[in-house]
Amino acid sequence: MTREITYVQAIAEAIDEELERDEEVILFGEDVEEFGGNFGETEGLYEKHGRNRVRNTPLSEIGIAGMALGAAVGGIRPVAELQFADFAATAGDEIFNQIPKQPYVSGGQIEAPLTIFAPSGAGIGAGAQHSQSVHSWLGNVPGWVVVTATTPYDAKGLFKSAIRDDNPVFFLPHKMLSETKGEVPEEEYTLPLGEAAVEEEGEDVTVVATQLMFHRAKEAAAEVDADVEIVNPRTFAPLDTETIAESVRKTGRLVVVDETVERYGTQGHIANEIVENDFFSLDAPPKTIGVKDIPIPLSPPLEQEALPSADRIADGIESLF
Amino acid sequence: MWDRMTQNVSVDDDTARDLLEEMLRIDIFEEETKERFGEGEIPGFVHLSGGHEGSHVGMGAAMRDDDWLAVGGARLIGQYIAKGVPLPEIMAELYGRVGGSNKGHGGQMHVSDVDRKLYGHAATIGSGQNPAVGLGLAEEMKGTDNVVVTTIGDGGTSRGSFHTALVFAAYWDLPVVFIIENNEWAISTPAESLSPDHLSDYGIPHNMPTESIDGSDVEKVYHTVSEAIERARDGEGPTVIENRVVRLVPHFEGDKETYRDEEAYERAREEKDPIENYRERLLENGVITEDELDDMVANIEAEVEEAIEFARESPEPEPEAAYDHVYKLPLYGQGDGQ
Repeated sequence: MTREITYVQAIAEAIDEELERDEEVILFGEDVEEFGGNFGETEGLYEKHGRNRVRNTPLSEIGIAGMALGAAVGGIRPVAELQFADFAATAGDEIFNQIPKQPYVSGGQIEAPLTIFAPSGAGIGAGAQHSQSVHSWLGNVPGWVVVTATTPYDAKGLFKSAIRDDNPVFFLPHKMLSETKGEVPEEEYTLPLGEAAVEEEGEDVTVVATQLMFHRAKEAAAEVDADVEIVNPRTFAPLDTETIAESVRKTGRLVVVDETVERYGTQGHIANEIVENDFFSLDAPPKTIGVKDIPIPLSPPLEQEALPSADRIADGIESLF
Repeated sequence: MWDRMTQNVSVDDDTARDLLEEMLRIDIFEEETKERFGEGEIPGFVHLSGGHEGSHVGMGAAMRDDDWLAVGGARLIGQYIAKGVPLPEIMAELYGRVGGSNKGHGGQMHVSDVDRKLYGHAATIGSGQNPAVGLGLAEEMKGTDNVVVTTIGDGGTSRGSFHTALVFAAYWDLPVVFIIENNEWAISTPAESLSPDHLSDYGIPHNMPTESIDGSDVEKVYHTVSEAIERARDGEGPTVIENRVVRLVPHFEGDKETYRDEEAYERAREEKDPIENYRERLLENGVITEDELDDMVANIEAEVEEAIEFARESPEPEPEAAYDHVYKLPLYGQGDGQ
């Protein structure tokens, strides 16, 4: 049985069910209690689970991320929210040096089964410091499992797995998708981490896309005169290169579109994996599309200029034929 | 500005001998470490603890085995020893060998021993206090009365992360004891150029109990930290303690210390060496004899010799081991065929 719910409802359900299922799970972050999160992602959880399990914190990402690390090492399973993905940078040492490296430098003694989640992406006119997609930052630091959500189904199933995983997981919903609706099973389910999903099958070209770009890629696919296969990586680190490679072996063409900045971005990395390992399956050079090398501007026409549009993706696809 | 040395012994004889023995263990272990580093046997940096032994051993003795220690500052080896990590495992880790506590993945700045509740070190100075608060939260959530002790140097107290940790610990009254080992030098920058009278004053705006003590007096440290731990155990929340110590060694081996005043340095050596002072004190009070002391030293030298042998004989890691411990695999659900 399925029903339609929104993406933020799916997120709130994932946390709710994991709080219910495992008493070691706790949720903390700024404004997660009555306020319910900026997008409604923690609505109702405090009322149901109480202040011991759902805690507002003082305003410091350093405190939130650092406390999550210690709490995880100490044997509980924290789910910690940063209000915007951009704020990973305000807890830079915790996010880049401490959390992903402490298990490694300890020789595997330290386990840090924590999840940090943070709404990412542009499109709501939030400006340069509240609109970034940061999975390229995080993917560059071995130790993080980096997961993105594209649909309500993904959001719930992947978030639940993120909470249960024994590694530090950075889970990135996209704020523009908050109110989108989709089919989600009534019954309990999880989705595997570290595995990409072939969302749309096609014969002529592989488009790799996630979050908002997945939806724009679908629009683009409907515009072009080609049979498009869309692969959603879901987990960016460690990346399921094999599923993408297998698709390209079939189609011979690759477009990677992502909302990270093009310079040193995920697009180049994914394309490179195919170029280095599956070069002879390519019938055309891979095409990479991302945020232009600028900060995200505020004014809607400027903001949309920075983001890959469905038209730009369609042009990219057509350029390979 | 220093407390006058109390000449009497305020703990029972066994405890007093244990305190002295543990300080000597640090000293002898580190002397040998310095030699081995000089011979090129130990890779990376080596920071020694000279002058901090009283602080390390006093707090170690105040802790229960199931209390966490999240170490900070640069004087680390003494803290590892005070938390009870076996000497061979520490030495092999300094050597970067398979038999090291961290299998050679960590080294001198990252010894951890989760079974003994040594969290390890945020080697980016001043980043260990928020994880310490998280450890305190975990203990509280699990309903234990275990406490977290976390250390930092004078230099690290200038990091915002240290102050954030005070905010968070105070917010939920978590069982965390913050110890600042103020040795007067953040490498070459003097602590006296910081504005507070005592660095423990940073706890005052959070309404935490604060203490500033002579951290070179092992018994003073033992009593002060014990009281703070008991408060935390009883649910009375965090404390900030400044252990005023001296740094009787270079920042790291190789630092020429051009910034130090020779006379003041000499005076510190004469007046504030925690081991020398305590040895005299126990001898004068008849707690230990010269012969017993000689035996104690000989036994420790043998232990340290064994640690060196263990480290030398422990194999170098296979290069492929560099890929271990990055992730716990499979990830959740991975390969389940969904």
